[in-house]
Amino acid sequence: MKVQLEKIKQEFQKGLNEVSDVLMLEEFEKRFFSRRSGEMTEAMKNLKDLSGDARKEMGRLANEIKNELLEMLDQKRVDFNRGDSALLVKTEAIDVTQPKLPKQIGGHLHPMTIVHNELEDLFTSMGFMVLDGPELESTYYSFETLNIPATHPARENMDTFYIKDHSDWCMRPHTSPVQVRAMQKYGAPLRAVVSGRCFRNEATDASHDHTFYQMEGLVVDREISIANLIGTMKELLSGVLRRDVEVRLRPGYFPFVEPGFELDMKCLVCSGIGCGACKHSGWVETLPCGLVHPKVIEAGGLDPNEWTGFAFGLGSMRLAMQKYGIEDIRHLHAGDLRFLNQF
Amino acid sequence: MLVSYNWLKQHVDLPKKLTPEELALRLTMSTVEVEGVNNQAKDLDNIVVGEIIKIKKHPNADMLKLVLVNVGKENLNIVCGGSNLKEGMKVALGKIGAKVKWHGEGELIELVKAKIRGEESYGMICASSEIGLSGLYPANSDKEVIDLGKIKVKNGTPLSEVIKLDDVIFDIDNKSMTHRPDLWGHYGLAREIGALYGAEVGKYEPPAVKEQKAKNKEQSFKLKVDVKDTELCPRYMAVVIDNVKIGSSPEWMQKLLMSVGLRPINNIVDITNYLLYDLGQPMHAFDAEQIVDNKKQITIEVRKAKNGEKFTALDEKEHELTSEMLVIANKKQAVALAGIMGGENSGVTDETTTIVFESANFDATNIRRTATALGMRTESSSRFEKSLDPNNAELALRRAVQLTLEVCPGARIVSNVVDESKFRQSTGLIELPFEFLNKKIGIELDKQEVVRILKSLGFGVEEKKDKFLVKIPTWRATKDITIVEDLVEEVSRIYGYDNIAGSLPSFPVIPPERNELRNLERRIKQIVALEFGFTESYNYSFVSPQLLKKIGIHEEHIELDNPIDKSRPLLRRSLLPNLLENVEQNAHNFDEVRLFEVGKVFWKNEPGERMNKSGDDLLPRQDVMLGIVFVKKGESVPFFQVSSAMQNLLMQLGCECKLQAKIFDPWIHPGRSAEVIVQDEHLVGAVMELAPVRQKEIGIDSRVAMAEINLSDLLEYIKDKNTYNKVALFPPVMRDIAFVVSGETEYSSVEEVIKKVDPLILEVELFDVFQGKNIEAGKKSMAFHIVYQSIEKTLESGDVDKIHEKVESVLKKKFDASLRK
Repeated sequence: MKVQLEKIKQEFQKGLNEVSDVLMLEEFEKRFFSRRSGEMTEAMKNLKDLSGDARKEMGRLANEIKNELLEMLDQKRVDFNRGDSALLVKTEAIDVTQPKLPKQIGGHLHPMTIVHNELEDLFTSMGFMVLDGPELESTYYSFETLNIPATHPARENMDTFYIKDHSDWCMRPHTSPVQVRAMQKYGAPLRAVVSGRCFRNEATDASHDHTFYQMEGLVVDREISIANLIGTMKELLSGVLRRDVEVRLRPGYFPFVEPGFELDMKCLVCSGIGCGACKHSGWVETLPCGLVHPKVIEAGGLDPNEWTGFAFGLGSMRLAMQKYGIEDIRHLHAGDLRFLNQF
Repeated sequence: MLVSYNWLKQHVDLPKKLTPEELALRLTMSTVEVEGVNNQAKDLDNIVVGEIIKIKKHPNADMLKLVLVNVGKENLNIVCGGSNLKEGMKVALGKIGAKVKWHGEGELIELVKAKIRGEESYGMICASSEIGLSGLYPANSDKEVIDLGKIKVKNGTPLSEVIKLDDVIFDIDNKSMTHRPDLWGHYGLAREIGALYGAEVGKYEPPAVKEQKAKNKEQSFKLKVDVKDTELCPRYMAVVIDNVKIGSSPEWMQKLLMSVGLRPINNIVDITNYLLYDLGQPMHAFDAEQIVDNKKQITIEVRKAKNGEKFTALDEKEHELTSEMLVIANKKQAVALAGIMGGENSGVTDETTTIVFESANFDATNIRRTATALGMRTESSSRFEKSLDPNNAELALRRAVQLTLEVCPGARIVSNVVDESKFRQSTGLIELPFEFLNKKIGIELDKQEVVRILKSLGFGVEEKKDKFLVKIPTWRATKDITIVEDLVEEVSRIYGYDNIAGSLPSFPVIPPERNELRNLERRIKQIVALEFGFTESYNYSFVSPQLLKKIGIHEEHIELDNPIDKSRPLLRRSLLPNLLENVEQNAHNFDEVRLFEVGKVFWKNEPGERMNKSGDDLLPRQDVMLGIVFVKKGESVPFFQVSSAMQNLLMQLGCECKLQAKIFDPWIHPGRSAEVIVQDEHLVGAVMELAPVRQKEIGIDSRVAMAEINLSDLLEYIKDKNTYNKVALFPPVMRDIAFVVSGETEYSSVEEVIKKVDPLILEVELFDVFQGKNIEAGKKSMAFHIVYQSIEKTLESGDVDKIHEKVESVLKKKFDASLRK
């Protein structure tokens, strides 16, 4: 039995060397391993005639040899395939760097859309609703509810677009009317960001446009404090900029908050040492914010003795310009594909 | 506003070790934004007295000269374009290393050795604006350099020694103190600084003004003031001073005035300007002789102007007034525009000997409106429009008289002191509970510190158990401080925002309510841009009537009352006009233009959201639309690009949709336009081509396809997909069918009919449409793949044949189709 196995092995090795293509390899495999009449198969069948220890030992040996042979067979197969690949390189190679023809035109999202999407996702993840409201707004929501009385300069023609034949309609000069609409609609507690288009009646140049975008946040809850505002803004800015930031508050005046603040962020370019980007002050003016004025809470239909809140504004257009290094604000509304195709 | 450090020091004892830079930062953090700190002497480093030795022509430039300047031990070659250069003139020479403002604008730049048009220059002969000395050396043109005149110092002496500059000037952002009328003078700022550092602030208590008895029995003046509108003029004080000698004001006053950018004029005008910057109270001085009724009688009227009344102000311009504007007048005419500017013929001149001081208070809004309407914003009007404290009118008058008597030793007060006053101030009390204060700030404060802060700012404080009763000082009571939250701000900003540690509010974990419309907008933008290859445009909400006319749109648009771009006064009703303009502009650079926009449109006469909380008034409707335009050079039927994009888009949104031919307005191609219908019956938009004649009118060469969908409407019909069909176990059978029908037959009806023939018909797909060769005129050939499938069994050929024959006969019957085999 042992002799028989050794012989098969020898013959296998000899025969395998003579195999020169895939078809021969298949024949060769059949000769030894065919289920009906393969030489190796036959030999294995003979094992049943043995008994006891001999059967055990021979069985082990037979399996060893069988595996050895199968491995050799696989190796040969791999060698042949390698040969095929060499052939394919010659006959079927393509220029993998070439683009698909005809050329396919891809579309692009506007840079403002990209920036707004990012911000909205961030705020949503922190539990804020995303809201918008009418762009043509009443003077009631644009001003009165926001503690901006009729005698305030912002009410005069110079800053706001008004609508012909409707002196109580205007193009909203900020997204803040939605603060009041949101409180009226959703009540409190409330966490919301408003993002949308605003309008100011001012001449257009490289850094000013009469149409711009704001993102404004509002938190209404019980016992909101200045300390809460500082803590939340720090977290939010770290989220927006994806790194730790240092912030400071200083006084700022806006009629719809009291107290009102300008929030500065430690300059990310120079880490506060002072550089051109921060006008050598180490701090960059980042956003206006404040505790919501009790009159605004009241206009929202809530009791200012019970509810408090804070609000903040992000100039998302400036953010987009900074992100991409856009030097002229007018590109954003020009509809020029040479610009838009880059985003 | 410019603020002088030396001036502040006259009012408050600053801590010894404090630097101006530290003070500026503290003010920024607690009171107002200090935008710049200019150390006068430091800024003049390397600027010295030079004497022009020789002037030669510049060989390469007509406007420039080669100037040899002596600066003591050496002579320097300087290239200069100054218009007033002459030999022997003493100039301010900026040596290499000096810091100057180029043409008086922008940041400071350090001078280096330069070659100007081929000639070397070792410095610069400075103009006053270039080194911040416009107040001291006013220039008649921007080409004029400083002429130091006859000064007896050696050439090369530092300029700062010559003009004795030792002040530090703060540049304060005016916007940061629009709500603080009290800070528009040095005294108010000194009071803030006192509170910030716990420093002593001097009292502002000039002696009361009293008429002085004449020595030689000369008759005194009878001064009468008649205030016609006490709302617009709550207080008017005036007094006559005789024996005034007009001359220069004292050096200390001139220096302070110049340090804040004011040009000294004469002692009386300088005194009013000094008070403008000291107390923030604008004053005016009249030449009494120019406004007297007769010899010793002066009657001043504070009245509204007559419509069309003409007034020539000190700016030598004639202004036409309206009845909304307030003037100061004598019996004949207006002599001043109240709170804004004096009149041309009534001001103080070198010959004046008798003056009338005016110190008054005017209504903030009225002053602002008048100043804006006349384009005359002055130092005076910009202070009155902040709502000044009427009490300051008296303090200012007292101080002005005191100074006048000091400066003009012979001067006497020769009239009664008029004080027409009718004002009310609400100074509280405001209740400030201690716990409320702590909760609002978010930390535990020390009670005594709160009291100290409030008192140092001038508030009256009375402690009562758990709260303070706070009285507002008059200078903060005009509009600034009214509610308890205002006091929270006062305490916290002086305490220092930096001393408040941040803490996070505790929020409940509730997912935010979804904004479905915004989500739809985002999904659509993603699909249209990233899948269908359209690029997103943002256009203005405003549209030009010229463009609409070119396109042929005649609908009524909402119009702006005060457009900044006069060519675009209308609010868009549709996104398409501005998108078509985008197409026209881009077509110069691209053969293919695919653009889309998502944005709000404005519909006149259609009701939208509420205008206020109660009441029925509504804003116009403002729906969110999706607009798409497509044009490709040589593409004669761009329609299908857009229609299939629309259909695929709606399908992805889980919305069954169909197109239905429809003729719209004449600017739209009548044979290539369709309504977009969803869920069988709801109109949400349109797909169309622009009428060829309009396309040419706009200036586009190729055919234009467009679509507009109303997303606000569509939102209702969007379905979240929540079913699926089981994967069929049995193989499908596909058969083709081709036939000729009338050219007007619509695909959608053919498809519908075939689908209805038998439930085993799973899919009907058009794969060819053909007109022309071999097809009778007016007819077209259509070819479909039809997929048959059963979910119960493998279909036998015979079963399929039967249904397919039925399809054929139905097509024959319904559409008069002739089959092509």
